[in-house]
Amino acid sequence: MLLRYVIRRILIGVLQLLGLTVAVFFLIRLLPADPVSRFVGLNASEEAYAQAEANLGLDRPLTTQLLHYLGLAPSEGDGLLQGSLGTSWVTGSTVAAEIGDKLPLTLELITLSFIVAFLISVPIGMLGALRPGGRADKGVFLYSLFAGSQPEFWWGLLFVFVFFFQLGWAPPPLGVLSPLTSAPPDVTGLILVDSLIAGRPAVFLEALHHLMLPVLTLVFILSGPIIKMVRQNMARALQSDFVLYARCAGLPRGTVARYALRAAMAPSMTLIGILYGFMLGGAVLIESVFSLGGLGQFAIRSILAFDYPAIQGVVLVITAISLGVYLFLDIFHALIDPRVAY
Amino acid sequence: MTMSITQRAAAAAAFCALAAPAVAQDLLFLAEDVPAGLNYDGPAAAIPTSQTGMVNLMEPLFSYATNPPDAEGMITPDFSTFEGRLVESWRFDEATLTWTLNLRQGVTGCNGATFTADDVVYTFARAKSVSGAAPIGWFLSNVGSIAGFTVDVFGDEAARVLGDEVVKIDDYTVQIKQSEPNALFLPVLTIFGLYIFDKEGMEAEATAEDPWSHEFANNRGVASFGPYCLERWTKDDEMVFVANEDYYLGPPAIKRVVMKKVPQSSNRVVILRTGQAQLVQNLTPREYDSLRDAAGVAVAGVLGNSNLFVHMNFATPPFDNPLVRQAVAHAIPTEQIIANAYFGQATPWMGHVPSGYPGYSESTAQYPYDPDRAKALLAEAGYPEGAGLEAFAEALQLTYVAEKETTLGPVVNAIQTSLRAVGIPATLNPIPQTQYGDRQLVKRDLPFAINDQEKPIGVDAGYAIQLFFVSADKGGLNNMVVYASEDVDNLWAQARVEQDVEARNALLAQIQEILMGDVVWAPVVEYKTQWAFSDKLAGLQWHPDNSVRFADLSYE
Amino acid sequence: MNAAEQETAPVRRAGVDTLFAIGVALVALVVFLAAVGPGIAPSDPTLASGGVNLPPPPLAEWPGLLAGAIFGTLETPVHWFGTDASGFDVFSRVIAAPRTDLTIALAANILSLVLGVFLGLIAGYFRNGATEFMMRLSDVLQSFPVFISAMILVALAGRSTFNIVLALSLLYTPIYIRLTRAEVMAQKTRGFVEAARAIGLTELQIALRHVLPNALTPALIQSSVTIGFAILLTAGLSFVGAGVRPPTPEWGLMISTGANQIILGEWWPSVFPGIAISLTVFGFAILGNALERRYEDA
Repeated sequence: MLLRYVIRRILIGVLQLLGLTVAVFFLIRLLPADPVSRFVGLNASEEAYAQAEANLGLDRPLTTQLLHYLGLAPSEGDGLLQGSLGTSWVTGSTVAAEIGDKLPLTLELITLSFIVAFLISVPIGMLGALRPGGRADKGVFLYSLFAGSQPEFWWGLLFVFVFFFQLGWAPPPLGVLSPLTSAPPDVTGLILVDSLIAGRPAVFLEALHHLMLPVLTLVFILSGPIIKMVRQNMARALQSDFVLYARCAGLPRGTVARYALRAAMAPSMTLIGILYGFMLGGAVLIESVFSLGGLGQFAIRSILAFDYPAIQGVVLVITAISLGVYLFLDIFHALIDPRVAY
Repeated sequence: MTMSITQRAAAAAAFCALAAPAVAQDLLFLAEDVPAGLNYDGPAAAIPTSQTGMVNLMEPLFSYATNPPDAEGMITPDFSTFEGRLVESWRFDEATLTWTLNLRQGVTGCNGATFTADDVVYTFARAKSVSGAAPIGWFLSNVGSIAGFTVDVFGDEAARVLGDEVVKIDDYTVQIKQSEPNALFLPVLTIFGLYIFDKEGMEAEATAEDPWSHEFANNRGVASFGPYCLERWTKDDEMVFVANEDYYLGPPAIKRVVMKKVPQSSNRVVILRTGQAQLVQNLTPREYDSLRDAAGVAVAGVLGNSNLFVHMNFATPPFDNPLVRQAVAHAIPTEQIIANAYFGQATPWMGHVPSGYPGYSESTAQYPYDPDRAKALLAEAGYPEGAGLEAFAEALQLTYVAEKETTLGPVVNAIQTSLRAVGIPATLNPIPQTQYGDRQLVKRDLPFAINDQEKPIGVDAGYAIQLFFVSADKGGLNNMVVYASEDVDNLWAQARVEQDVEARNALLAQIQEILMGDVVWAPVVEYKTQWAFSDKLAGLQWHPDNSVRFADLSYE
Repeated sequence: MNAAEQETAPVRRAGVDTLFAIGVALVALVVFLAAVGPGIAPSDPTLASGGVNLPPPPLAEWPGLLAGAIFGTLETPVHWFGTDASGFDVFSRVIAAPRTDLTIALAANILSLVLGVFLGLIAGYFRNGATEFMMRLSDVLQSFPVFISAMILVALAGRSTFNIVLALSLLYTPIYIRLTRAEVMAQKTRGFVEAARAIGLTELQIALRHVLPNALTPALIQSSVTIGFAILLTAGLSFVGAGVRPPTPEWGLMISTGANQIILGEWWPSVFPGIAISLTVFGFAILGNALERRYEDA
């Protein structure tokens, strides 16, 4: 039953992505400019323009271009079906390689931020929920409202000003490693992991140091909604019948709190999943404040350069990951709550 | 006794040089990007940072002699004197329009290859094949009137094969024929788009589908005879250059250069200040200004070929009205822009060609900032106090490149404010660089814009005029304001083939007079191309492509 | 436990009410500035003055300057928050900006609310293949990164207020669809629907007249939060270059143009608009939260 549900959802997901791919394909071809002029900067004669256009394959009919992109025209070369996202017009590298290069940093940044935010938010949220209306609760509540409604890029700038410019505690906002440090060999793409694999703890610490401010900024922003959710769900759980029963049964406070926490976690997971999906694209603000060359920066650059294959690739990847996260959450819910069924 | 002290000192210095950490010979150079390609016929050739890669790894046939350092220590080219680089001596036969180039012997490339006439022939054959995404080599050859490099190559496969216009006479002699007299022959051979490849090294990377090794040059490297060799290249991140110890002009002083991408200019400032980097480029004028007093940092620049002008399209009303064009030109607060946007590192621009280029002449017609005159001209044009201009809201959007907001923001805001003060209801329209390029070069439909990026690579007033001001159907490839003047076209047709320098300059001056009279562009300022660097670094030299040659540099 | 609750309850009320008052005051101030801000700004927020990068006057001089400003004895206008790189008066721009920010936020919210509630009602009430398809479509829209869609829209049609509203609506409509659909599905099972059916009303009539009003509340409460976030996103879009056109006074644009001056120690062009956004969105969050509570209590 569950397996059928999962398979069905995955099939739907694939159809969704296919529809999205086709839609984006046509949408970007509506753009009022094309990238050809970039290549003929020094010599914008009609002949040179036609030459560059042919080189990009833009002189072929739209349907041919689409079939090629999807991989349904083997004579034209590899496409999606063959696992190719095409070649970036700006760098000449494959889009898959470009994304493989940028995605790990974004994942590293937001995953780290979510872990830290979660570890901080749960105890704080619980603290608030244990004594509703107490001074601690009011403080927690106020904090969660405030942190959850802040412009993260501005706080990032402010942190740079205070912690780097004024105090000198943080490194300059220059990416995940200092320009002088050579990156460890690429195994997973995640600097924090690769540096350990390569046995270079100094690089690991440096990366952590450089990620300190961006993570701090994101943790501050993310902790708002997470605390709020934990506090609310926890308060609700503490008042629910099974907790009352556990209390009456004389179970120790800690055990009761643990039960309540478990019940409070499920709805919180949904929120975290949604936030994570949003952050994949939304991290671009923090990436640009701290010059982290992540996926968001890559997306913006590709659009500004009208790099069609790169735009298609990045939209596809971000959407696929978000849909994957949502799917995972739905399955997770279906597992713990038999009432969810389609 | 004295001798022995000197000797000991020399010995000590030598010892120190040996014992000093390798870092002392290293340079960390921060730029907005690293080369995206090393192929001048490839997709990345128009990007300035890619050109930086090419000019340091490759070698030209000719270059310019240099002027002595100026007050800031900057060295500039002397555009009146050509120097042979891979060419040792040369001869031009006017009767047959043939150049005979005697090539330098004993030139060795990075992989040990020896430079010969075959490399020159290969380079021109590759250019004529127009097999790359953007055939710059062909274009420059065409500009220099090298025979056979005509537009026929685009229609006719056979026309893409190199004929007898470039022939090898012996291993160290090459002859090149022109199709007509053209003073641009030597200038185009100094440009990065005709730097010489190492034939063997390139052919080793060729495949059946890609006989001219474009994939190699686009993504992996290039084979040539330049002062530096490629050690490592990670696109979007860094390119590492090591000195070519066999370089025929002597091994470069800086042994290893790391060119690192740091996209935000403010971040480049920070790293330079901390002393980690020794050279940065492409900061905003404000940032250069802030570094002038910083310890251990020097800032220098030259008024080279960077300039800013207002672009008004002749095809779009109300800019078809000469009075409106003059009114706009008079309403631009040049001094305020120099002070507030360029922090004094600019001068008013009095012509349509970079003032340092051969053939430049300052025209008599000028449009200094004069709001009252602007108002009077507007009234004369039929728009008293700007009444009636509301109808042209679309055309009065002052377009500029969004990515340059930090630099151009203060400029466009000052212009917008003063245009409104005289009654012209201008608004601002920042658009992405790519779109700006498309509309300027291909569609030519930008009505009103600010442009600070036209730096003619051919160092000659005639080249600039041909590129920007000759009618599109007469070869004005970048005639972005759709200007058409029979007088200009005819004068240029004469100047193009004029062999006598003075007569040619007189014709060019006449053209520049007409351009200013018609306000083809509204020139605003010429601004300095600047660098900020460690004050230990010496020898910085400006080149017309605005790329640093690392071989010019040394530590004091 | 009951005793403890009795003790804390009044305190909690009072605390919440103070907070609520702060929220109302902040929102009222922003609405007021949106109405009159550009009119009362001491300088035209879109005209550059000669002095660029001027710092704000030191705090010690404020009383004197304030008196001077009131009695009109000053020779030059005071730049309370300094001037930016173009010579714009930062204070004037900060107080003129709510008109831009609030207009965009309200327009995006209303557009997505109307669309989302309508589609959510249909999706929740009539559950069939078509509405299922719509939900899957809205999944895709929701997982489509907002900055990318906004950038593409901007590239398509240039920077304009309308495009920003459209981009934000694309993001928010699915949220309203989900909220309304869930509520409609809950309401549909209630007695009054059966009753309405019994007296012979058509399904459409029931959906519009009876289910919709009851299912609207969560969406309306969400609005207050959404408006706040729309302001954040508008600012974020300006920050990546997909926002309103310069020199429109808009907080995010001001932060964005002031951002690279921070490294030179010139904090004022970006810090003041940041404080304004921070407080405004906080105000909307308080309001939204208070409404949510009232709804839950009721």
